[in-house]
Amino acid sequence: MRTRQRPIYLNLLQIRLPIMGVISLAHRASGVLLFLAIPYAVYLLGLSVTSATDYDAVIQQLQQPWLQLLLLVLTWGLAHHLFAGIRFLLIDADIGVQKSSARLGAWGVIAAEIVVVALVAWRCWP
Amino acid sequence: MSTYVLEGLRPWVIQRVSAVYITLFMFYLLYCGFSAQSTGFEAWRGWLFQPLNSVGMALFVLATLFHAWIGMRDVILDYIHNIMLRILLLALIAGTLVGSGLWAFRALLLTVAG
Repeated sequence: MRTRQRPIYLNLLQIRLPIMGVISLAHRASGVLLFLAIPYAVYLLGLSVTSATDYDAVIQQLQQPWLQLLLLVLTWGLAHHLFAGIRFLLIDADIGVQKSSARLGAWGVIAAEIVVVALVAWRCWP
Repeated sequence: MSTYVLEGLRPWVIQRVSAVYITLFMFYLLYCGFSAQSTGFEAWRGWLFQPLNSVGMALFVLATLFHAWIGMRDVILDYIHNIMLRILLLALIAGTLVGSGLWAFRALLLTVAG
């Protein structure tokens, strides 16, 4: 007897992911982004404690406009990963599991990260 | 496969414990940054020289490395199915994390010793 071929339909463009799914996917994406930033962050940490000249070089480097754009993206990554992570921890503790509160929490995460990115952009943009 | 580092419930627990520590320490870093009386190299070194801060930083580095390893490992295991590519990527990630960790500890040790 032949096993019946099950229909597989995975057109990513046609799947309408609920907001909780978007948050979860972005949590992964931002995590990978933050991982990629680790070597550079450690390099800057090492340089910043070497000497006063190197410390100033780090500050100068961080003020490059093109780097500031990247830092803003990383700020989003960190903010999203943090807030979505707190939401997942709360869900582990059985808080915000119901569909309505899960959706509310997801929107809360988006609101919080928008506030953080806007604040950082407003305070740190040259 | 039973050869993967960290199996079963343990990575799940480590991921959450490290997440809590990373979160708390980042808020502490923000607090210190905003309440700092002076800025610049000397102030930064002085802050790191404090035992609580340097030990806290070392723990922060360690927690971040574990957290990143478990997270990246999960992502690779979910999306990369070719076994050779999987091993290669996991090795690259592990190497990057161990290297970054040693680099960070060297910086912290130099600060405390110097």
